[in-house]
Amino acid sequence: MNFLFNNILRNAAVISYRSHNSLKLYITAIQNITYIHTTSKHNNLMDFFDNKKNWNETNIRVGRAWRLDELRIKSNTDLHKLWYVLLKERNMLFTMEHECNRKVRLFPNPERIDKVEESMNNIETVVRERNTAYYTLETGETGERPVEDVVNLFGLPEKYPKNEYIIPKFMNTRWVKSYLEHGYINSLAVKKFYRLYQEKLRSIKRNERNRNFNHVQHLLKRFPDMDLEKLQAEYPEVDLEKAKRTKKARGHFLPKY
Amino acid sequence: MRIYNFLSKKVGELTIKYSNLPESYIKRSYEQVYWKNPKGYPQYPAAQIARKNYRFTTNRPWTMQFGRQNERTTQRKKVFLEPIGEWMYFKGDRVEILVGRDKGKQGIVSQVIQERNWVIVEGLNTHLRVVGKDKSFPGITVQSEAPLLVTTGVKLVDPETLKATDVEWRYTEEGEKVRVSTNSGRIIPIPKAAQETVDYKSRELYMENPDKDTTAAVANKITFAPKLQTFEMDIMESMGIKEDRTPATTYWY
Repeated sequence: MNFLFNNILRNAAVISYRSHNSLKLYITAIQNITYIHTTSKHNNLMDFFDNKKNWNETNIRVGRAWRLDELRIKSNTDLHKLWYVLLKERNMLFTMEHECNRKVRLFPNPERIDKVEESMNNIETVVRERNTAYYTLETGETGERPVEDVVNLFGLPEKYPKNEYIIPKFMNTRWVKSYLEHGYINSLAVKKFYRLYQEKLRSIKRNERNRNFNHVQHLLKRFPDMDLEKLQAEYPEVDLEKAKRTKKARGHFLPKY
Repeated sequence: MRIYNFLSKKVGELTIKYSNLPESYIKRSYEQVYWKNPKGYPQYPAAQIARKNYRFTTNRPWTMQFGRQNERTTQRKKVFLEPIGEWMYFKGDRVEILVGRDKGKQGIVSQVIQERNWVIVEGLNTHLRVVGKDKSFPGITVQSEAPLLVTTGVKLVDPETLKATDVEWRYTEEGEKVRVSTNSGRIIPIPKAAQETVDYKSRELYMENPDKDTTAAVANKITFAPKLQTFEMDIMESMGIKEDRTPATTYWY
């Protein structure tokens, strides 16, 4: 919509520059803009703002976001329309948020932005589902952008989303082949990096294990009558018998034996 | 990313349900992210500096009071939570109190705070609190309920014997998940009040906002008709856009 609007303005400007009675043409072009609006209300730039009666509201209560199941029963045209309704709403919310910040006021119900975005994401998911279904049926492929599992420059596994080119790979001299098929994977530097990186990952895992063991000891001290099955379910890696024997788990009382 | 997952686990499901807010909003309203690496640059890993430990209290995570209690400079002692398995207590449940001054009394759960294994029982386990005390004004004394631990503080009441009982989750023959009293084997239904959120008492009583909401009738209307077309093809057809050109062959690599 915005694109059309800009286009017409630009055309109008060109026409007005060329013709003698420029002003008249310009005005007619501006008047024609109103025909572009598909919504019933057209307030031009004021569409970026909320209804005037909501400006001083402190609580604008709205329902929840559209769910996937509710969108799946809607036709493509409906989804298309709904997308633009949501887009306008999101623009409006962002404008109002910006305006509220500018005027140092509290923006009422900021969760509306999240609700709109969740709905928009859900619409995208549904559209993608439909397109994937069509392409798998017709061509046997999903029609999604192909993604390849590669080993990157650091020697780590990476998802490489492929790009679309008009010439094949062997003709394309500008495509940096070495990005993926480089000789660095087996180099000393990459091997060293990989070794140190693995060490870091191992230490993160070990720290987590130690932290959990420590936490379980404290829990055993604080809640001696605790359900041990539930504790074990929450911390499956911790050896409870070992944890119970430790000094930390004992608590401040004399042992009975 | 690791920190993010860690955070998301902390706010209880019932809290999210009660707030009637999107999860992403709750997260961004209580999270304190001080630094985030810019996205889309290969040289920056997806790292962030954020507060790791939040003190959850009776103040709900999306409120301003929560933010004030968890100011950047405040660090409080770690709270140890007993693992309790599946949650049993819902708003509106009748429970018996096992500890404190009101031991043995029964009451209705008015708030559930899953993050701390707490429930608040209406009008029980209270203390007096002086509000608005000033040099010239002695203040007003109000009664406020203290939270109770679900592990040791309260037990659900059996609807048959009206006595405290242990409860477990079981399945009925219809495959429905229910709470069953271990004493009498009776089902303890989940009360209607458990549906209550900040916005409405129960689902049916929600008042639609005519300016913003899509009405239920419109939302539930089925307009989908299966066609052998992609979304784009269908939209182009409905808008009368014709495209006869065949795209040139392209290569993906």
